[in-house]
Amino acid sequence: MATQIEPTTQEPRSTTGRSLTATRPLMGWRTVDILTIAFLGAALGVAFWGWGVFYNGPVTALKIGYAPLMGLFVGPWFLAGVVGGLVVRRPGAALFCEVVAALVSMLPGTEWGATVLISGVLQGLGAELVFAIFGYKAFSIGVAALAGALSAPLQWGFEVMSLPAGGGGWYAEWVLRDKVVYLGAMMLSGAVIAGVLGWLLVRALARAGALSAFPPGQEHRESHAV
Amino acid sequence: MQAARGRVEVTDLSWRPFGRRDPVLRDITLTLEPGERVLLVGPSGSGKSTLLRAIAGLLETADAGDLAGSVAVDGAQPGSRPGAVGLVLQEPGAGVVAASVGRDVAFGPENVRMPPDGIRSMVTDALAAVGLGDLALDTPTSTLSGGQTQRLALAGTLALDPAVILLDEPTAMLDPESAQEVRDAVAALTSRPGAPTLVVVEHVLGPWVDLVERLVVLSDDGRVVADGPVRDALATQRDHLLSMGVWVPGEGPPEPVAVDPALVAAQPRRGGLPPLAASPLAVDRTTRLVDGSRRTRRSAELTEQVRAVPGSLTALVGPSGSGKSTVLHTLAGFLTPTPPDAVRVTSPDALTPTSSDAAGPADLDAAGLARALAWVPQWSSSTIVASTVLDEVLVTSRALNPEDSQGADEPQADVDRARALLAALGLGHLERADPRHLSGGEQRRLAVAAALHHGPPVLLADEPTVGQDRRTWATLVGLVAAYRAAGGAVITATHDSHVIARATKVQHLRAPDPAPEVPANGIPLVARCGPLALLGGALLAVPAGVLSPHWSVSFAVLAAQLVLAVVGLWAPGPGAVTRIRGTALRVLPGLVAALSVGWSTWFLAGRDLDPALTVALRVLIIVLPSAVLIPWMDPDRLGDHLAQRLRLPDRPVVATAAALQRVHSFGAIWSELSRARRVRGLGVSWRAPRTVAAHIGALTMGLLVRTLRAAAELAVAMDARGFATAQSRSWWLPAPWRVRDTLLVALATMPLVVAVTAR
Repeated sequence: MATQIEPTTQEPRSTTGRSLTATRPLMGWRTVDILTIAFLGAALGVAFWGWGVFYNGPVTALKIGYAPLMGLFVGPWFLAGVVGGLVVRRPGAALFCEVVAALVSMLPGTEWGATVLISGVLQGLGAELVFAIFGYKAFSIGVAALAGALSAPLQWGFEVMSLPAGGGGWYAEWVLRDKVVYLGAMMLSGAVIAGVLGWLLVRALARAGALSAFPPGQEHRESHAV
Repeated sequence: MQAARGRVEVTDLSWRPFGRRDPVLRDITLTLEPGERVLLVGPSGSGKSTLLRAIAGLLETADAGDLAGSVAVDGAQPGSRPGAVGLVLQEPGAGVVAASVGRDVAFGPENVRMPPDGIRSMVTDALAAVGLGDLALDTPTSTLSGGQTQRLALAGTLALDPAVILLDEPTAMLDPESAQEVRDAVAALTSRPGAPTLVVVEHVLGPWVDLVERLVVLSDDGRVVADGPVRDALATQRDHLLSMGVWVPGEGPPEPVAVDPALVAAQPRRGGLPPLAASPLAVDRTTRLVDGSRRTRRSAELTEQVRAVPGSLTALVGPSGSGKSTVLHTLAGFLTPTPPDAVRVTSPDALTPTSSDAAGPADLDAAGLARALAWVPQWSSSTIVASTVLDEVLVTSRALNPEDSQGADEPQADVDRARALLAALGLGHLERADPRHLSGGEQRRLAVAAALHHGPPVLLADEPTVGQDRRTWATLVGLVAAYRAAGGAVITATHDSHVIARATKVQHLRAPDPAPEVPANGIPLVARCGPLALLGGALLAVPAGVLSPHWSVSFAVLAAQLVLAVVGLWAPGPGAVTRIRGTALRVLPGLVAALSVGWSTWFLAGRDLDPALTVALRVLIIVLPSAVLIPWMDPDRLGDHLAQRLRLPDRPVVATAAALQRVHSFGAIWSELSRARRVRGLGVSWRAPRTVAAHIGALTMGLLVRTLRAAAELAVAMDARGFATAQSRSWWLPAPWRVRDTLLVALATMPLVVAVTAR
């Protein structure tokens, strides 16, 4: 043998539509895994910042009406966790990617300051949880949508919590009904924008030949065997 | 023993990446003796780079495939001693790990847990060995020239005392002077006793012949077809090498391929004004510093006028850093020159063009710009906008004639001409292929064809022949000659002497004088503190905001924060005002957020001003300290501190720091992609939301693809320097926690204390 490094993915063979997993051991992160998550996180972090500027302008106008509907626009911020998890398929990928993205979007200054980092952890944990429940074995569009949807609840809790003696998150003073509507809107947005669009984005990246070292790249090769 | 190191044995090596029908390497057997200097050549796509990666044990670092056979370096697997096989990649900067020169060279020694005292001498020795000994260790890697960056990569491999050094076309993307610097450094290394074994991949052989002893030739199906002493092999294989497209010493440029000018006919012109003219101009670039001040630097100067006369070829020449690309960008209207109206383009539609029909290229819409000129950037893959090769060629023609662009209505003549153009360039069989899957040389030819199909009067080409072999060179130069014969005007930035020889005008550029040093501003407390103290200070504001029960308390907390902000930002000397203004700007989004959160609470929670004011102030309390503190966090030092103080795992921390220091390049990639779309006639208008969505989608995809490629390249470079096994590293630079850090955290706790005691 020329090297000790395990092949990155297996030889293409016919599959029955189930997802390919990362090489064993699952915790055996290769350098390209770590760097890809860090770089994806950084690129999406720049996009987060750009979305934040847009959110701060046109979307804020919505608050003049029924503010909980803003939840429909939070999906883009959950993308890093979903995409990171779908590409690398190892434990911690979703959380790591979302935290790097949050860190990068925090540096130029946003309307949320350092809470962005906390949000990154909370959102990344939500997506990570879904990939863990499926044992890092299932990466279909449905799993992606669920990961996007479950990126929301922890973040929502942080925003709407209220303390008994006064104080709390940004929307602590809303009545329960509005808080629940806000959660539903966030989860819907997460499922559609982060989940479905994130899954499509990963597929597009695989088609562009940019994921050849990862399971999605191999899935693409299998469906287009030369 | 030093003397016997560096024996490489490759036995029956074959490699087929998954998804490819044919192997890239076939049954390669090759033995290199210790200290031997070998030149490895072959046609594009013959697996030269792949063989280098195999010798370094890095084939499967960023790719997957079938591997057979074996590679041994001094009888062991290539990766068994980290850094035993050093690898320098083709693209300068692809392997840069850190933001400063010293840190970058120290990366390898850190991976093998060398103690910090030893690292310093290793770093200075390695830099001296490649002729960079007079650079300060904290010189930012982003300020180095291409040649310096390649020598830095060489120093990075030397710091691990390699037995074998592999150079993958190390000078292909450099100007002649920088290339010579790199070769001088290699010559100095390999002339020492006990020098490492050297393998160089190149397709321009002349300058390397005196540096090597042996020539190995790969065929385009990945076999060794010739191997022997370099002079003998050159003599016997001369015709074979020429047919492969290798630049053989003593052989002039190839005859350009004949291309029918009718395929790239520029639109006929009716008047006397040239389609593009520029009077002498200068370009300034302004950067904003962390303290809110601005610094303006002159990045290029054009001292004579440039006129793109039909049939002409203007060559912009000068050393790297002289602003050739910047001038091209300015001619295309992407940058604003001084004076602002120095560049004028004349519409080809005007019946009798007069100076009143001339416009600045920046003032045109995308279609107007595409009609006026074409631009091919150095990184031609960034101009790809379509999903098949044929569509790629037709994109601009379709954008300019939207009414007849679809299906059967499309002029068959356009499609036929596109096919003929592709055939002339040797790309005809790839018509249905995805252009992103083409090789670099194929993408370059496609980019030029796609730029010219709609017949623009001017072509601006940035280093169009760099890295081309003889065959692709002849095709590209033939295409440009046909375009000129058809009435097109070409302006190119180049250092290719054969292209310069064909120019009708040569314009020498000189690097502008450096800007005078600005007196240093005073250094405030926030600039003296470590990254963890800054981050901690910002995070302490979160509980302070959350725990403030009522606006009356919040006012007290906010007042304390404002006083502390002034304390943290104040310093004797100039600059305090710009710092405070910069901070105020960064608070602005937070103010908007406070207002909107306050409004929604008022609207939804009983139209009561009391809770609305409370949440609005809460937002401000949370955001203000971040605006003061976060900008002063240095990504590299953050990495040092996260790993050494917080004991976070080393490898993710290093990867994150490497990604952070490349964030600034994302903006440049984004604008390049955006410019490439605009100049190809793909405009964006807010009145047509579909164009905005298409634009943002395409740019995001382009940025992500480039980012993923960069990550894969960097993974190879890092693993070549021992990162694969660096679960626990040493750290060259300490991460001290100082008294002032404690002071900052103590101060940042005060608003929280106010909030808690008032509850």
